[in-house]
Amino acid sequence: MTAIIEVEGLTKSYGSKRGITNVSFRVEEGEVFGFLGPNGAGKTTTIRLLMALLRADAGTARIAGLDCWQQSVEIKRLTGYLPGELSLDPGLTGGQILEYFGHLRGGVDQAYLKQLIKRFDLDPSRKFRQYSSGNKRKIGLIQAFMHRPRLLILDEPTNGLDPLNQQEFDRMVKEVRDEGRTVFLSSHILTEVELICNRVAIIREGQLVRVGGVAELKDIKHHEVMITFAEAAPAEEFKTLDGVEQVEVLADGYTLRLAVQGGVDAIIKAAAQHSVVTLTSHEPSLEDIFLRYYQGDGQALKEASHVV
Amino acid sequence: MWFKSVYLKTLRDFRIAMLGWGVGMGLLVYVILATYPSLVVTPQARASLVSLAAPFAWLAEPIAVDTAGGFATFKLGFTILLITLWPLLAGSRMLRGEEARGSLDALLSLPRGRSRVALEKLAAMWTTLLGMGLLVGLLTFAGGKSVSADFGLVDALLFGLDLALICGVFGGIALLLSQFTQESGTAAGWTAGLLLVFIVLDMVHRVIPNTEWLSRLSPVYYYNLSKPLVPGYLVQSYGVDPGGMLVLLALCLLLSGAAVWLFARRDVGGTVAAWLRLPERAARPERALPVNAWSLRSVYTRSLGMIAVPACWWTLCIAGFAGWMVVVVKQTEATLATMYAGSPFLKVLITKVGGGDIATNATILSAFFTFLPLLLMAFAVTQANRWSADEEDGRLELVLSTPQSRLRVLLGRFAALTTATVMIGVLTLAATALASAATGLQLDGGNVAAATLSMIPLGLLVAAIGYLLSGWLRTAVDTGLLSFLLVIWFFISFIGPELNLPDATLRLSVFYYYGTPLLHGLPLLDMLGVLAADMVALVLASVRFVRKDIGR
Repeated sequence: MTAIIEVEGLTKSYGSKRGITNVSFRVEEGEVFGFLGPNGAGKTTTIRLLMALLRADAGTARIAGLDCWQQSVEIKRLTGYLPGELSLDPGLTGGQILEYFGHLRGGVDQAYLKQLIKRFDLDPSRKFRQYSSGNKRKIGLIQAFMHRPRLLILDEPTNGLDPLNQQEFDRMVKEVRDEGRTVFLSSHILTEVELICNRVAIIREGQLVRVGGVAELKDIKHHEVMITFAEAAPAEEFKTLDGVEQVEVLADGYTLRLAVQGGVDAIIKAAAQHSVVTLTSHEPSLEDIFLRYYQGDGQALKEASHVV
Repeated sequence: MWFKSVYLKTLRDFRIAMLGWGVGMGLLVYVILATYPSLVVTPQARASLVSLAAPFAWLAEPIAVDTAGGFATFKLGFTILLITLWPLLAGSRMLRGEEARGSLDALLSLPRGRSRVALEKLAAMWTTLLGMGLLVGLLTFAGGKSVSADFGLVDALLFGLDLALICGVFGGIALLLSQFTQESGTAAGWTAGLLLVFIVLDMVHRVIPNTEWLSRLSPVYYYNLSKPLVPGYLVQSYGVDPGGMLVLLALCLLLSGAAVWLFARRDVGGTVAAWLRLPERAARPERALPVNAWSLRSVYTRSLGMIAVPACWWTLCIAGFAGWMVVVVKQTEATLATMYAGSPFLKVLITKVGGGDIATNATILSAFFTFLPLLLMAFAVTQANRWSADEEDGRLELVLSTPQSRLRVLLGRFAALTTATVMIGVLTLAATALASAATGLQLDGGNVAAATLSMIPLGLLVAAIGYLLSGWLRTAVDTGLLSFLLVIWFFISFIGPELNLPDATLRLSVFYYYGTPLLHGLPLLDMLGVLAADMVALVLASVRFVRKDIGR
């Protein structure tokens, strides 16, 4: 496989404020690459450097062998881009915006464009200012996909999309991958990345801490399980179960909060021995995972050795 | 301290405007007062000043213009457009601007009623206007002291209060209109249009007898009723007019109250029209694509589409002003000829500003035409502001993600501005030529072309400097600096000759290079110099833009 994105020692700071430091990774052509990190980790900075919206202080970034800064116009012929925050002329309709960007890209297949509009169930006759945040996101996604780019760079693409449209987006990404094109997307939603990406990079405080296959993510995947019992919570029974890292009895004395790594099968079976009122399970945010998993710099540095 | 309430936070947002406009307007009055002694050196000069003011009664009422306070009041009558600019913009943006940014949603999620939020913001605007009035009053008093004017501190403060009240009225109009529009710019545009109408209505009674009833429909009329700087107001019919001030106060309360009442009842992000259930045009998704609009074909055409509406308004203003001046000069030909014969001072003044032989109509017209490039440059400031704002708001991000080089985007935008500027120049030429032909005023065709077309490089220079400054500065600072530059140039060129400033200082103003083309034709070398400056500024702006980080 050939690398379509090659980033080497990329560094960017905003005066005295941190941006990213010495970030290096490669994205192979035809893969869906997830770029994960909590808010403010440096995802958008990296993406804006790739799109030549920012100029790197040090390091290189290349797309399809072209220098991202020096040959940005050639690169933009190959790419479709969705910014994290979409700001467009509020007085133009969705249709006008798409037509304008179609012209700037040298023309797009109108049939495909209409197909995308239909898939997202978007009304292009409304003015941009009248769209909900989800519909604005759809406009951004359609303009990124509409010219069938070789590489899609998407900054938190599903932000604001409802579950149905998220599924439609997932399907579109899979189609792109099946056609041998590449998707580079940033996200802070672990499940989304797990579902559609081949490989992921994790960035934290401006530094890349891990790059690898999606399967490798599972070892950092945690669940938070809350069980409310009909009687006093049997905390001791859960402390020794596989994968349970932390057990906490809440103030009411009936509810247990469990931090779990891996499967929850043992927990369900243990809970079934008692009278359970409610059971909820949710994935903590990536921020929580980072706080728990990368507790110290030493640990983070150790994980950095996973970078490939 | 500033973040304890909506009122204080809004006041904090307005603090730079309060200082900038307050001190700026105050200095304007100060400079006007400072020039006064040089205009009344001899009894003849004093008489000439009075006779000069009389024909311009349509612009401002000439009362006691041979006194420092009367002269300042008369001269400031011309500047109502400038004075009301800030409240007009602030009123239109106060609620609608925050709605467009989405920040009002968060504000209204707080445990405060809508009316309370709007009233706190309104109170901050009024406090700001009173602060501006205070600064203007204090600087007016200082200016009066420096020339031993016969008005006191209370008079100066009342002058500032009158100013604050008229500003409050136009702020209220803008705030009220913004309840009916989706964008703050539209409300500001409508308010500016109403302002022009009100100025004309106020003028009517000074030009046509027995039409005072018509002028009473204009808030500007009630503002002009008070003349606190004119001496002896206690014993004469002019001076402070409590009735006029109360009318302005009542208008402030009424307009703002209506705006707040409507705001409390409509949808956030919607307009009063929606709240009143007025029929909306049905959306037709099936017809949305292809749009096939000419303005969507390139960065240049899109920029042209964006600039088209404001350019039309500015063309109306600039070309209309030029045509109107031709008519005015022709109509007052006989009066002016009599005045020239009896007033040596007037002869000198018009010769200095107009740049030629006082015996010709072209000279007085030339003096008026020096305002044309000023107006065109003001247009350029608004467009440079828009470029900077688009980058600041992130609107360039997606455009720059398409295969358009940064240079192409910047030049496309600048080319559209150039097109609009050229169009304004050409239509001003056409309006002047038509007015000249219609009135029979004899003007040299080549000189008219030079006077109207040579303002184009001046407008482009301001725009190019604005583009250059936006490479480093935020929109507000960029626009502020450009406006300041314009004001400085204006004073150097229009007040400078009266103050006998040295030639080297006069050369610092770009108006110097515009010269008096209506009389002397195109100053080719000077214009080439301005064009070269345009190019340098544009090249530097381009170099900066292609290298800089695109901000958000």
